[in-house]
Amino acid sequence: MKKVILQFRDVTYIYHTARGETTAAEKLSFAVEEGEFIAFIGPSGCGKTTLLSLAAGLLKPSEGAVDSGGVSFGYMLQKDELFPWRTIEKNIFLPLEIKKINTKENRERARSLAAKYGLAEFLQSYPAQLSGGMRQRAALIRTLATDPDVLLLDEPFSALDYQTRLNVTEDVSRIIRTEGKTALLITHDISEAISLADRVIVLSARPARVLASHELDFGTEQNPLKRRELNQFSAWFELLWKELNG
Amino acid sequence: MKRLKRNKGLQTYSREHALYLKRCRRKSALVWTFRIGLLVLLLGLWELVAATGVVDPFITSSPSRIAKTIASLYRDGSLFYHVGVTLTETIVGFLIAVGLGTGIALALWWSDTLRKILEPYVVVLNALPKIALGPLIIIWCGTGSKAIVFMTVLVGIIVAILHMLSAFIATDRNKILLLQSMGAKKFQILRKLVIPSSLASFVSMLKVNVGMAWIGSIMGEYIVSKAGLGYLIVYGGQVFKLDLVMSATCILCLLAAAMYFLVALLEKILVKTPES
Repeated sequence: MKKVILQFRDVTYIYHTARGETTAAEKLSFAVEEGEFIAFIGPSGCGKTTLLSLAAGLLKPSEGAVDSGGVSFGYMLQKDELFPWRTIEKNIFLPLEIKKINTKENRERARSLAAKYGLAEFLQSYPAQLSGGMRQRAALIRTLATDPDVLLLDEPFSALDYQTRLNVTEDVSRIIRTEGKTALLITHDISEAISLADRVIVLSARPARVLASHELDFGTEQNPLKRRELNQFSAWFELLWKELNG
Repeated sequence: MKRLKRNKGLQTYSREHALYLKRCRRKSALVWTFRIGLLVLLLGLWELVAATGVVDPFITSSPSRIAKTIASLYRDGSLFYHVGVTLTETIVGFLIAVGLGTGIALALWWSDTLRKILEPYVVVLNALPKIALGPLIIIWCGTGSKAIVFMTVLVGIIVAILHMLSAFIATDRNKILLLQSMGAKKFQILRKLVIPSSLASFVSMLKVNVGMAWIGSIMGEYIVSKAGLGYLIVYGGQVFKLDLVMSATCILCLLAAAMYFLVALLEKILVKTPES
């Protein structure tokens, strides 16, 4: 068995506002193994984003515990959130600056990562000069620049048009698999979850609880587009669809 | 895409594009001809009605009389003295208002609690007509340039605070979340995100405040002064020398326009919008 690098133990999280309190997550328990790609699906507004913020330590659980034992996280959001006044290169260096590890060595590493995934000629361009897909790729490279142990992907494809979305999904999947990263993906798109993940965790409507956890049986097939053509795909889709609506 | 750029460099446009550019140039020339034509026409008309006695130049003055007045101010050395006084007051007041206002806005952005505490005060100060404080300012600051600078600051600072605070607060929440996820401290969020993303607002605030500074300094000179363009206007009005009033007003127009263009130039340098 592989090493568990992130564990949620009976995590409950309550939001407080002037109008009252909302339980966003209730007794969430699951473990993430190193190198695993987990997709969380659930109805809109079920507190999936809260889950990632808890994992990254941006929020502290009201009850229970999140054990992350010193792993580092990289966050990828719905939109690329590239800073328009910075070049792509400077955007990719941003986490290095924030973490105060902006050394020549790290910059070189980030640059070579960008080059490896086809961004070399865009390094001196501004985000506005890139297509939506390229921008999301740059956002991923920015996330990878600090070499995080776990990637947290908060519906990173939902702001893209359908065709770009399929391409970027494949892109991101390939990069994450090549770099051997652990990833937690939040999505409300069932087929996206099936095409990308090793394991799918189904969450209930708010407050989020774990309804089911499925180990997907695609073997070594990790290409999202090819997975969509396999027979198991529609079977999984049907099962998850029922669980989400059941 | 690359080929397109290269073509641009060599000026090898298609026929249609060349025609389009020609039309653009023609239109621009037309606009400028009429702009200047209108000015010449109005000045000519003014001079004509004054010279032929249709209106009394004693009340309306005339371009030639204004020119004579300015020339005589220049000869006795008082032109640059008055311009210098007003310009100094305006620029000093403008810089203090902008600097202090932006600083206060930063503090209010930094502390949510401070912002909530001070909000009603800022709103009331914004609504208050600053000229109502005239007598107080004279008593506090005396009758010199200090009072006028104070008035200029007072007129500009609230605008600066409100303008910059709303720009700081409008910072994209998701970008803040992104920086937080990288472990950014509040100061880093300020330096890497809030300030650079507010740069365009800062320049537009400068533009608004150029106007505010002139209002403040001239208003200040109306209330209390021994020199300056505002003083010349008030003095000219009191002794019924409309030539002097008009001359000072014309100089004021030129100075205000010059200051505005300087800020517009600054905008070109500071706010580089990358072409898409």
